[in-house]
Amino acid sequence: MDYEAVIGLEIHVQLNNATKMFCDCPNRPGDEPNQNTCPICLWIPGAMPRFSQVVLEKATMAGLALNCEIQKENAFDQKVYYYPDLPKGFQLSQSHLPLAKNGWLDITDENGQPKRIRIHQVHMEEDVAKLVHETEGHTPISLVDFNRAGTPLVEIVSEPDIRTPHEAMEYIRSLRTQIRYVDSAECSMESGTMRVDANISIRPKNSDRMNTKVEVKNMNSIHNVGNAIAYEITRQANQLQKGEAVVLHTRLWNPDKHVTEAMRGKFEGPCVPDPSVPRIIVTDEWLNTLKARLPEMPGGKAERFFKDYGLSRDEAVLMSSERNLSEYFEAVVNQDIPPRFAVHWIATQLLPALKERNQNVEDTPVTTERFSQLLSMLERDEINANSAKEVLAQLFDSTETPGAVIEKGGLRQVSNTSEIEVIVDQIITENRSAVDDFHNGKTKAMGFLVGRAMQASQGKANPRLIKEMLSAKLGNNT
Amino acid sequence: MNPDNYCYIDHSPTETGENGTLKGKLLSIQPNISVRGWPTEAGSVALEGFRALEDATVTERLREAGAKITGSTRMSELGFGLTGDTTPLAISDGDVDIALMTDTMGETRLAASIAGAFGFKPSYGLVSRYGLIGLVPSMECYGIMAKKPEDIGSVMGVIAGCDNHDLSMPEYQVPDFGHRGKIREPKVVIGTVRECMDTLDTDERKAFNETLSQIRKMGLKIRECNLTDFDLFKTVHNIIGSVEASSSGGKYDGVRYGHRARSTENWNEMYLKSRAESFGLLIKTYLFQGAYFQFENYSAFEDACRIRARLIKKTEALFNEVDLIVLPTRRRGINAADTSTIEEVYDAFSLTLPANVTGLPAIHIPGSVFREENDPGLQLIGPRLGDANLISVAAALSHTTLGGK
Repeated sequence: MDYEAVIGLEIHVQLNNATKMFCDCPNRPGDEPNQNTCPICLWIPGAMPRFSQVVLEKATMAGLALNCEIQKENAFDQKVYYYPDLPKGFQLSQSHLPLAKNGWLDITDENGQPKRIRIHQVHMEEDVAKLVHETEGHTPISLVDFNRAGTPLVEIVSEPDIRTPHEAMEYIRSLRTQIRYVDSAECSMESGTMRVDANISIRPKNSDRMNTKVEVKNMNSIHNVGNAIAYEITRQANQLQKGEAVVLHTRLWNPDKHVTEAMRGKFEGPCVPDPSVPRIIVTDEWLNTLKARLPEMPGGKAERFFKDYGLSRDEAVLMSSERNLSEYFEAVVNQDIPPRFAVHWIATQLLPALKERNQNVEDTPVTTERFSQLLSMLERDEINANSAKEVLAQLFDSTETPGAVIEKGGLRQVSNTSEIEVIVDQIITENRSAVDDFHNGKTKAMGFLVGRAMQASQGKANPRLIKEMLSAKLGNNT
Repeated sequence: MNPDNYCYIDHSPTETGENGTLKGKLLSIQPNISVRGWPTEAGSVALEGFRALEDATVTERLREAGAKITGSTRMSELGFGLTGDTTPLAISDGDVDIALMTDTMGETRLAASIAGAFGFKPSYGLVSRYGLIGLVPSMECYGIMAKKPEDIGSVMGVIAGCDNHDLSMPEYQVPDFGHRGKIREPKVVIGTVRECMDTLDTDERKAFNETLSQIRKMGLKIRECNLTDFDLFKTVHNIIGSVEASSSGGKYDGVRYGHRARSTENWNEMYLKSRAESFGLLIKTYLFQGAYFQFENYSAFEDACRIRARLIKKTEALFNEVDLIVLPTRRRGINAADTSTIEEVYDAFSLTLPANVTGLPAIHIPGSVFREENDPGLQLIGPRLGDANLISVAAALSHTTLGGK
């Protein structure tokens, strides 16, 4: 039988607020254990939560970026469970009155067709402490690090609209892009600022039944989410084919073995309204000031890049995928660099170079001014592409202008025909067999000869001129 | 000071205020109200050895106003009921002028009725709860007991008002506690609640009617009001209170402070054993009951929340007809200081807990014209934020008619 999967994602995103959610401790879980703590986030008796206004703003911006309706009234509940990472016995979360509802994200499915994934709700909750398991001599011990306790999260719950691993990964990427645009969170699965849980069930194709679902956790990359979902779909299909029922439970993705494994169920009950965090009333006035702060979002920006700059669809999407990158790109274009030429050099040269050096467009010494100067010299044929790559590499280590780097390295392109003619004549004399090959119809020999000539010019000659001159001197090879 | 009545005594209490309104006043607290460094066990083994890390906002403000905090009296476990509570003795022995305690279901008013003093519970949200180690966050608040009503007014003048540590306090105009002891509006209309009167037995009604006639003699008008579902206050408090206790009481886990069970197999067992060894039977029963409603009968909890909202509306609507509501404070033949089951606790506090369910201010007024055992007491409930007027009326009543001071 043909099955299709019904997938809903629950995504926890750690907001990039400077402080925790209910106290002024720094929101830096990675610091020395238990450094960022106070009576509130340690939940010492008598302390009371003090909800951060900035967290509310960051969370609301995330809700807006996900096309949600921000609710007029939202409130916190106590979600009860007992575990040493939550020593007060309940987590402050929003169950009855969430921050935002009814959002959506548009993705592209496997067939290149647009598809809308609906978002059920976005709500705020505090993170719990982190357990560290060690041994003291031969005794296993568990330590609790409260740096993460009380750090601000939003949980984004999708509707079960996702059908394939591809759609799940596209949805996560789109969600990450949107939230990064409004600067609410980093959304990195690798560094733990985004955690994805997948609810997966399968059913016969074209059915509209909702079958028993299985929750899968512990994926540490977007790629792994795809792998885990694919594995789980096959596992459930095999189980059904064997006549076994799927039972409601939670499984963990094992990244080493590439399988999902059953875990013990967690005890969880309905939430109780919390009387210590004030109810949040969202006024139109406040919401409008936030909406006014929304930047041009990636969808609209890609459309504009496509229309105004003549980029291809893919190029437009790539250049708008990150807000800083899109701003870098536009700054370069605004310095009179042809847009597609800029995209080509950003995508194939600049981005890999940044990645190699662990830099970002916003903090690299290769500023938009320096990069534009380089591209404009390349465009005017003052240097060739090889030299440009070399200059780019040097721009990372010096503060000089591209022009100065070029002069210093003698990298200016030789476009003087008499100088090139000397080289071309020498190459023809020294490579008789290649010239014969060329005359015998081996077109590849031309490439070889151009290469030798470039080498002889120490990379400085204009390759277009060399080719033209070689062709003229050797005549037509047919 | 009889040391048996105290779990901590400060022999050289310090105050930080020079010329505060509470200059020279002696004040006791309970060990669920935070004073930095003091043992703060809230009457429970679950907090054994715990010392407060910070001052509660109230203790800080009281000291700044010149009050001397002389010690903390013994209290019931986590402030639920009055069993084992020695606060009435601190007042009746004359150890202190003012006793600060918590009021979850009427403990301050009942304790005052035992001590022959005034017992006041402010409007919910008027006094910061920061530093209160509580059990039922939506019902409980600080309560003030004193022989002199003007002391209650002075304390309220000091502790009421916004606090950056307790953001759950709504924004409002803090009542002016400056004109104490006088009825500012001479034509106060006081309402009795028919549904409450119906629950009194013959002796209770006789005694209470006697009190009402004394009030009438003062020239105050008394009018009968209707508050249907009055009997549901008790059920609503019981269900919501136990669910909140079970949920928020989770922080008393016996790991970072308090009693932690020895030799357990794993951490699940550690929690179970520590909590089993820590809580007394009454609290344990209450927590179990709350867990039952939360996990097995949640719709009953939701119903209780809905009924609570309705009761608040209905009670507040009464203040369109009358200025204050009058109720007895306690039931005859039930000793609030000696209760051992949930039912007994709720029976003992059935007349005071409506003010906790609604969050309205309420005061017990001591009277000396009746024999103690027959006296159901006199309790006034005011509109939200009508705290200052309520204290003034209570003072006036006791001064002129009831033979108080």
